[in-house]
Amino acid sequence: MMLTIENLRKSFPLEEGELVAIENFSLEVQKGEFICLLGPSGCGKTTILRIIAGLDTLTSGKIVLDGKSIKGPGSDRGMVFQEFALFPWRTVRKNIEFGMELRNIPAKTRRETSQKLIDLVGLEGFENAHPHELSGGMKQRVGIARALANEPDILLMDEPFGALDAQTRNLMQKELLRIWKETKKTVIFITHSVDEAVFLADRIIVMSERPSHITEIYKIPWERPRDRASMEFANLRKEILAKLEKMVKLD
Amino acid sequence: MVDMGKIWKKVIAFLKPTDVSLKTDRRIQFVKTVLITFISLAIFIGVWWELSLLIDTAFLPTPDIVFEAFIDSFGNPDITTGRTMWDNIITSSIRVAWGFLLAFVLAVPLGLMMGFSKTFESFSKPVVEVFRPIAPIAWAPLLIIALGGIVGPIIVIFIGVFFPLLSNIIFGVRSIQPILMDAAKTLGARRRDMFIKVIIPSTVPYIMTGIRIGLGIGWMCVVAAEFLGAVGGGVGQYVQFKTEVNRFDQVFAGLIVFAILGLSTTELSGWVERRVSRRMGLK
Repeated sequence: MMLTIENLRKSFPLEEGELVAIENFSLEVQKGEFICLLGPSGCGKTTILRIIAGLDTLTSGKIVLDGKSIKGPGSDRGMVFQEFALFPWRTVRKNIEFGMELRNIPAKTRRETSQKLIDLVGLEGFENAHPHELSGGMKQRVGIARALANEPDILLMDEPFGALDAQTRNLMQKELLRIWKETKKTVIFITHSVDEAVFLADRIIVMSERPSHITEIYKIPWERPRDRASMEFANLRKEILAKLEKMVKLD
Repeated sequence: MVDMGKIWKKVIAFLKPTDVSLKTDRRIQFVKTVLITFISLAIFIGVWWELSLLIDTAFLPTPDIVFEAFIDSFGNPDITTGRTMWDNIITSSIRVAWGFLLAFVLAVPLGLMMGFSKTFESFSKPVVEVFRPIAPIAWAPLLIIALGGIVGPIIVIFIGVFFPLLSNIIFGVRSIQPILMDAAKTLGARRRDMFIKVIIPSTVPYIMTGIRIGLGIGWMCVVAAEFLGAVGGGVGQYVQFKTEVNRFDQVFAGLIVFAILGLSTTELSGWVERRVSRRMGLK
């Protein structure tokens, strides 16, 4: 098992009592697996991802990555943000090389690695562009390349295509699958789009509203690329949607 | 017969400021700006002229006399001081430059630290807040007596430039998007890396704004310092001296010099600010 989350619990102290955001969350992720965390907004998906990334702390429970308990952020986990979070003063290449600079990797190696990643994510010709010169899809390509540059074991993606238009979004999903296949990374991908989750995931983890916990896990053994027009795709999507709707209605 | 009303309407319609984002022809935009500026100044001078004729007092000479004095001050050395306006401009500029440099060297590291470290801020803030509300000019008499007519004025300017610069830098550090810090953390940045590779670069535009504002204030401080006994000339001293000897045409010439100096410094630093921001991709 590559990543093990055991009885994760996150609460915030209130003036009276506490607000429980996540409760009893346990998950085991295999190496190379593509996991989608799916749930209504405000269900704490992002919080779980931020805890795995080391940006937030957990209240109780345990997260073990490759046999090591997680304490704070580290370059063994790469994160991709919905808002891209690129450094605006750095060019595409310099954004990608940021993590390598921190690890004191010599300039020549940095350059080679960043070039490889630029080719991988399809940004040839934009090496010296600044983020504000790029479209949303291109920005997220940089985001992905930047996260990969640290050679992380796991890629944490927080609604990475949430800010993109539908067409770009579909294209980026295909691109991500290609990159995932080429790099063989483990991916935890957060989304609130059922369609996106069914298209991408090996396993979909459906989460409830607060205090959020896992309500269902769907294993999808289908070949990729998946056909959105197929019967089975449509059926599964309908089933999960119905489940999510019921959850929101309970509110 | 030409319909003046129609022409007038057309002129007004042409001069109306257009939305720059529409990207109308840059040259037309430029011509417009020049034209509007010209008309605006022409009206101002016209009013000034009429007013000075109307009031008819030595305190407000007509523009032509002031213009003559202005040109003359550059060409001929002053009878009493032996200095031309050029000499005065250089003296004042050097003062502003020194005061500014001193402020820059101190405010940048201090501002970055205050914005970055809560502990450092909580210790330095009380002191800064006590000194900030004191008008820089209030220090001038004391500083000039205590430090002399050369260093004193420089310190007055330093005080004037320091606080706006400091405030801007602290504000800049605070304005960093938290998500950029998060991104840096997930890429392995420690506190030191964060400071050097995220905080400093993203604060640069704010430092530039601080420089622009600070320089504007620097020019105001130099006037006061020169009134109060700076040694070795300067435009402020020129204005003061000319007031004492009732040469109001020359007083106004000095005021115009101040306008030009302040304006060109602000414009120049604004230009640098825009260029740097664009180069850094910060728009």
